[in-house]
Amino acid sequence: MTPPLVDIRALGFRYPDGTPALDGVSLAIARGERVAVLGPTGSGKSTLLQHLNGLLRPTVGGVWIEGVAVEGSPALSEIRRQVGLVFQDPNDQLFLPTLLEDVAFGPLNDGVSPVDAAARATTILRELGLDGVGARAAHHLSGGERRLAALATVLVSRPVVLALDEPTGDLDARGRKRLVDLLRARGETLLVATHDLTLARALCGRGVVLYDGRVVADRALGALLADQALLERYGLESPLGG
Amino acid sequence: MSFHHLDQFATVPSPITAMPPVGRLVGATSVAVGAATLPLGAWSEAAALGALVAGMTVLARVPVPLLLRRTSGPLAFVLLASAGLLVFVPGDPVLDYGWIAVSRPGVERFGFVLARGVIALAAAVLLVTTTGFPDLLDALRRLRLPRVVTTALSLAYRLIYLLMEEVERLLRAARSRNAGAGAAPRRRIAAGVAAAVLQRAFARAERTHRAMLARGYKGELATLTAWRWRTWMVVAEATLVGVVLATAVLARR
Repeated sequence: MTPPLVDIRALGFRYPDGTPALDGVSLAIARGERVAVLGPTGSGKSTLLQHLNGLLRPTVGGVWIEGVAVEGSPALSEIRRQVGLVFQDPNDQLFLPTLLEDVAFGPLNDGVSPVDAAARATTILRELGLDGVGARAAHHLSGGERRLAALATVLVSRPVVLALDEPTGDLDARGRKRLVDLLRARGETLLVATHDLTLARALCGRGVVLYDGRVVADRALGALLADQALLERYGLESPLGG
Repeated sequence: MSFHHLDQFATVPSPITAMPPVGRLVGATSVAVGAATLPLGAWSEAAALGALVAGMTVLARVPVPLLLRRTSGPLAFVLLASAGLLVFVPGDPVLDYGWIAVSRPGVERFGFVLARGVIALAAAVLLVTTTGFPDLLDALRRLRLPRVVTTALSLAYRLIYLLMEEVERLLRAARSRNAGAGAAPRRRIAAGVAAAVLQRAFARAERTHRAMLARGYKGELATLTAWRWRTWMVVAEATLVGVVLATAVLARR
């Protein structure tokens, strides 16, 4: 039997100061699936995503990508290439003097030659409608452009899983629509951590609700959003206006 | 403030901007070091180096008044550091204000130190005016500056803008709550903002490090830039360094 592309088993995590962040989270995500990880601020969404490519080490349990354990894996570099993580604040992800260098950063670390890395970076910037801004520094970009640029830094490495942390945090309506259209047109397996249920509905077929670091609901997104009592109980607001 | 204003002539086509940044860096450094180490009184050699910088400025199509204006900022530090020469060097007084006397040798020494400072600083300013920061970093890497230094400079270049944004946000928020506050409260606010910025800088650094690891960072920043040396560039570089060396030797004879 083919293992799930992303297999999270009884994952628990405590921060160094002892604060519990995740408690027995189990999720299996198939290739091509699009999952919204919902929950209020502080529910553990970002912490969960950072376990997918080994940025955080679980206290108990673990994460497997295509059957390979992330924790202690000798193939961690490859796992980090396969799981593209887009951080909540694009400024965290754009740290080099020019956008082209930022986008080429991943491929260069993967051993791609500078010429090919630059070509791949230019191509992905064009695909995302950012052609012509490669020579600019991130502080000269608008909020929407920075968000797309952060996405480009990950897409350029051709990940199989795209994990997005609050991707619409600083986007206006037009920017959000542009992002949704772009992501809909792509084929990667998608995990979107958000409390923006409108975005979740536009992108995902499955919804997982995290609350206090535990999975409290995991079902088809339509059914989940129709459950007004559940949404209210866990501090989520229905995009259906209910 | 914008570093992009600093390097606005980096994209102006000229023999200087066509040169690989490492060549520009070596050239500017040799002129600056050559000028700074000229022995006192070597006026003709100083004039030769000054003419060299002026020539490169014209070649780079940088307006001379702009170069001098940019040089004047850091020159203030040279002035401050060397002003003491006017009064502390003994000799015939040219000006006497009772308890303070300016000596002739003091004026000569002050003038020469100032001239050396202008030439060295103008060479450095010409370099940053004609070279983008990423290219400058690349040049430093090629000159085998320790990776940890170039990486720190590279991240600092970006981080400085993020921190400035934080400072502006925090100050705006503080001002909106403390309109009309006196000097003492304003100092307390400034101290609070500084502490908050420091704290946020640490948090930002940690998040950025994670973002780097997530994209395969293994402790070395790779670079995209690939410059090509041409024969005329090698000849020009060798000539420049040769002229500086010859000037330095002549000044010591």
